[in-house]
Amino acid sequence: MTSQTQDKPNGPAAAVVLAAGIGAFVLGLMVTLAVMSADFASFLDFSKNYGIGSGVGPLSGKVIIATAAFFVSWIGFGYTWRSKDVNFRTIFVSAMVLLALGFALTFPPIFDLFAPAG
Amino acid sequence: MISNLFTEHEFWAVIHGLVLGTLFLLAFGGGLAGLWSLSERYLTTEGVAERTPRLLWGTTLMAIVAWLTVITGTFIVYPWYRAKPPEGADLAMYPKFLLTTGPEKDTTAFWHNFGMEWKEHVAWMAPFLATAVAFIVIYYGPQLVRHSEFRRVLLIMFTLAFAAAGVAGLFGAFITKAAPVS
Repeated sequence: MTSQTQDKPNGPAAAVVLAAGIGAFVLGLMVTLAVMSADFASFLDFSKNYGIGSGVGPLSGKVIIATAAFFVSWIGFGYTWRSKDVNFRTIFVSAMVLLALGFALTFPPIFDLFAPAG
Repeated sequence: MISNLFTEHEFWAVIHGLVLGTLFLLAFGGGLAGLWSLSERYLTTEGVAERTPRLLWGTTLMAIVAWLTVITGTFIVYPWYRAKPPEGADLAMYPKFLLTTGPEKDTTAFWHNFGMEWKEHVAWMAPFLATAVAFIVIYYGPQLVRHSEFRRVLLIMFTLAFAAAGVAGLFGAFITKAAPVS
């Protein structure tokens, strides 16, 4: 264990935790925006617009954008914090808040509140 | 042989829900026990060296299985679930429309309007969270034993990943009972 007594910087770990929160929040946001706007839901239909995922409908765009947000933010923060120690507690709390918002915005009784009247 | 037992739709529904779902559950149990017990209080240096690879494989397997489950569910099974029936078609082949416009729609529409609408989205949080856990376990390796705060974070994220997958799995089972993809 002697070679491992020097702790690694926590930046890379913080980056992936924050990225998970961002991915979840972006997913919730996409779900809610699709409910709010038929035009946005049409844009999210990547199966029709770009041929990605035949027959999946707007779900294809929602999950592809959320997955891209997860990986891009992981790479971005991971590169920025690759050799740094950051305030992990603050990052974790931020990630949990984003995650909670993401969970809430994918919950039907909540995203249905944003549906246009009529 | 398999084609005699299942239709193509049933085969992929079983792979998505049963095979990958079971693997996810097994990996979660192993990973949770590994994280919980990975503490200097409980383990010798030899114990840490023996447990770390198992924890690494458990969490990595859970992340891989989570990705495979949501990808097969969304891009293979879901299009069959939501396919629009032609005029006069047997709704039994079109689960979404069987639930929402079928003869028992007053009771079954809930499974689509609430169950599927929640399941299809919330399930995607599981791979994000499981990947984060697996990466941190790979990154820190045996050093995790000295970081009780990190282990608590990992336990929370691991459990949330399981909760997200659990919601999806539970509604998947109910929906399949009411209107199977066949």
